[in-house]
Amino acid sequence: MSENASPPTELFSAAAEPELNGRRCRACGYVFFPPQSYGCEYCGAPGDQLEPKALRGAGALASFATVHLHQGKDMEAPFTVGVIVLDDGPAVRAILTQRTDEGLKIGERMRAVIVETNSEGARARELRFRREETAR
Amino acid sequence: MKKTLRQMRPVYVAGIGLHRYQRMSDTPYVTLGLTAIREAIADAKIEWRNVESGYTGTAFIGMAASRPMLRHLGATGIAIAQVENASASGSTAVRQACLDVASGLTDVSLAVGVDKPGPIAGAPGKTNIHDLVGRRVVPFTHFALLANEYMNRYGATAEEVAMVAVKNNRNGANNPYAQRQKAVTLDEVLAGPPISGSLTRLQCCPVGEGAAAVIVVSDDAIDKLGIDRSRAIRVTASVSRSERVYRGAKNFDAELTRETVAQAYDEAQISPQELDVVELHDAFTIEELLYVEAMGLCGEGEGARMITSGAVDIGGKCAISASGGLLAMGHPIGPTGTGQVAEIARQLRGEAGVRQQPNARTGLAHMVGVGAVCVVHVLQKDS
Ligand SMILES: [Zn+2]
Repeated sequence: MSENASPPTELFSAAAEPELNGRRCRACGYVFFPPQSYGCEYCGAPGDQLEPKALRGAGALASFATVHLHQGKDMEAPFTVGVIVLDDGPAVRAILTQRTDEGLKIGERMRAVIVETNSEGARARELRFRREETAR
Repeated sequence: MKKTLRQMRPVYVAGIGLHRYQRMSDTPYVTLGLTAIREAIADAKIEWRNVESGYTGTAFIGMAASRPMLRHLGATGIAIAQVENASASGSTAVRQACLDVASGLTDVSLAVGVDKPGPIAGAPGKTNIHDLVGRRVVPFTHFALLANEYMNRYGATAEEVAMVAVKNNRNGANNPYAQRQKAVTLDEVLAGPPISGSLTRLQCCPVGEGAAAVIVVSDDAIDKLGIDRSRAIRVTASVSRSERVYRGAKNFDAELTRETVAQAYDEAQISPQELDVVELHDAFTIEELLYVEAMGLCGEGEGARMITSGAVDIGGKCAISASGGLLAMGHPIGPTGTGQVAEIARQLRGEAGVRQQPNARTGLAHMVGVGAVCVVHVLQKDS
């Protein structure tokens, strides 16, 4: 990797109530996720104007789809992807904890959780979302 | 002062040609491309030595694709370049050829799209920006998510969305260049196999190999080379845009199309009601619903009804994807946008045979590239 390559940025904090590591543009106020430090997509302010902004892992489900065909070995189909509009603004795409879309309703409350994964022998932690009623 | 294409020298599509879109085979890309180009040259009734510049729209073949192909037409020393703009590569090649002629740099230019699926990774994956889903969300899931949202918002059913595949496969069954040339029933579409969300296999376009070529010319070339003016179709708008941040917009894909098409209408000085034929980016069924609305062919949320009403069938008010679209004709990436322009020109000439939209005079070709870019051309038959 070349020396000026930007290091991977942590996407979330692994607290009991995980937060997403968003960014906020000091110049225009634009709040976004995933984090990057190249420059503001909305106003063009350079990366040093992009400050960390923790986004609470809570929001409303805007869309979902159960994936039946997946070629990667990192995950076995079926699994379900959701679009969650965070209470703090941005919409994010995340894997849901439930494998299929059974019982899901657009508009319902969703909550972020940390999930331990073990794919191809590599342990990792992922941020996923689950329905708030099952999170209790 | 800024000018639109229409305010520059008139540009006409004078020749079109294709190699059938098909499943990956061991046919070299050179064969695919030359077949399309030779057909386009013969169609225009010109000679290769008349062509003054050439743009090759391709995404997967690799660096420097033009010369190894074009030299077999006779190495005439013309200006050549490769054009890569994701799925809109072929559309962008057409735009570059049009700009050459419109500006007066050339009288005859070639746009050829040619591709074979390959293992080249796209640059968006190399930004070192990661998200929560990575490669688990591929294009079919992106559009499955949009379908889910659309159906929920407007009360459209999975059957209504799937009807796009029924219509476009019916059209593709009559297109000798199409990868899928078989009409299918709604039951067959819905029967699966399931891919993602409500999208089944037949609601996702096949990605194969193929080629398409378009020769664009000036008025001078028409006179000088004795080109049949009655078969020359004017390009009255060529618009290319990329995605902005649409704060508050429900759907970025539809919004980019809405902006780009609006600019094309403005530059061509037409209204959506004047469109007789449209080729749009129906890589997935739901896209056709989103885009007919974004193009102003019907109101918001009325896309599903528009498709099922027959208004966009061949013979309806505006035939959409008479070629079969990406869903049936196929989506070999590089050629797709060039092939759309070829189909529109064929329709406006009245040479589309059993696929002919009656009295077609105004057409639009629309492509979206995962970049995210949108390229739109308006073609019109001189009255
Ligand atoms: Zn900003």
